[in-house]
Amino acid sequence: MKENYGVSLPGLGRDDLVGKLIVIEGTDGVGRSTQITLLKEWLEQQGHAVLDTGLSRSGLVGKGIKRAKEGHTLGRITLSLFYATDFADRLENEIVPALRAGFVVLTDRYIYSLMARAMVRGLEPAWVRNIHRYALKPDAVFYLRIDVDELIPRAVFTRGFDYWESGMDLYSAEDMFDSFRKYQSALLEQFDQLAEEFHFEVIDARDEPRVIFERLRQGIERVLIGTTQPKPAAAPAAEKERSADAGEPAVIVMDEPTPVAEERREKA
Amino acid sequence: MKRYGEHRIPGRLFIVEGIDGSGKSTQLTLLHQWLKAEGYGVVFSEWNSSPVVKDTTKRGKKKQLLTPATFSLIHATDFADRTERNIIPLLKAGAVVLCDRYIYTAFARDVSRGMDREWIRELYAFAMKPTIAFYYRVPLETAMKRISDARAGFKFYEAGMDLGLSADPDESFRLFQGRILEEYEKMVPEFGLTVIDATLPIETQQQQMRQMVLSKLTQARQLRVAP
Repeated sequence: MKENYGVSLPGLGRDDLVGKLIVIEGTDGVGRSTQITLLKEWLEQQGHAVLDTGLSRSGLVGKGIKRAKEGHTLGRITLSLFYATDFADRLENEIVPALRAGFVVLTDRYIYSLMARAMVRGLEPAWVRNIHRYALKPDAVFYLRIDVDELIPRAVFTRGFDYWESGMDLYSAEDMFDSFRKYQSALLEQFDQLAEEFHFEVIDARDEPRVIFERLRQGIERVLIGTTQPKPAAAPAAEKERSADAGEPAVIVMDEPTPVAEERREKA
Repeated sequence: MKRYGEHRIPGRLFIVEGIDGSGKSTQLTLLHQWLKAEGYGVVFSEWNSSPVVKDTTKRGKKKQLLTPATFSLIHATDFADRTERNIIPLLKAGAVVLCDRYIYTAFARDVSRGMDREWIRELYAFAMKPTIAFYYRVPLETAMKRISDARAGFKFYEAGMDLGLSADPDESFRLFQGRILEEYEKMVPEFGLTVIDATLPIETQQQQMRQMVLSKLTQARQLRVAP
């Protein structure tokens, strides 16, 4: 049984979601997609069916968001709600069916990125949290963390500075470099707070990609303990085993840090 | 982010609510004509009309891709765009803004679709509180008769066909709009909606409406006049 953050959606049963929901979070350019490619390959070799998904990829609004962003015309509340619509569509039409079918769902960012972006744009934390309260609590959140000084060369030598990734809608008087630095620093601050609140497993993203991969692999293995085959029939038993073992499940709770999560973070 | 009821701005916001067939759009059109003739700077904003969002909503409805959650969120997105881009700036500039349907439509419909009552209210917390929110109260049978006289058949989402209440569109409409009526009635005291008896002659309703609107306009000092 997967939990949500306090609001249930009509028609969305959570009893039979036997798959695992694994979130890779991190700011722009930190290497999330590289890791997801590696993880997917590895998980499939282990015999797990994998769905990889990410933001703005929904069938309903993905294109609409891209078009709107090209015009740079969205207000901050509108932008947040557009992303929330995209997220809800993917949750109901991709993530939940895949979890029901016993998949490992690897998602490139989750509600936490959406929250961080909205709060950096000055929206009220309570309002921002409420929008996403129907989201499923993931089985684990891995946060690839990097400082803004290490992030800058990556942006310079790969894609250059993107309008939205530089928060140009926020600091339009500045050039893209200054804006990028300010915006990404503000995002990192939000992420650090969210990491506490939602008990992310923090992974140092300055390391070599293969070192990061190794950490992620170990973390995911812990989540998958007890999951033998991705067969729905086998999974309920596995669920029981999991909750019986107090040291293992990476349950993300919204309130106080649990000793389990603390310990896990130390390990990471 | 200013919340509902926290904005202090010179303009005036009048909105109409009610089920389909209550006659609220007719009343708002008549009010609009009168305000224009009186020389007020008046702007009309319709539910579901944001240029950025409406194509997505249209496609979602046409292909029946919407669930109660995405139906709710896409309408909130549309409303947010209109609020940020039009309603708030216009009211700050001292305009009279008229809205055909407002957040109460979302509350009534989305709760009737099973969405969480508190969640949806918080979702729309950024909305401006209207100067007057008119609610056109009408019995379900009267509304259904008006609609069936005016056009053939109910639309899929309007009849709540996505909820599987009944395979018969008429019956589904009756059940779904019945739920919506119940939600509206609960909101009358909750939000202080101004009830208009929508079974009265059109002219009588319009007279009542103009009187109430006028009393709010004469109190306002900084309203724009039309150029």
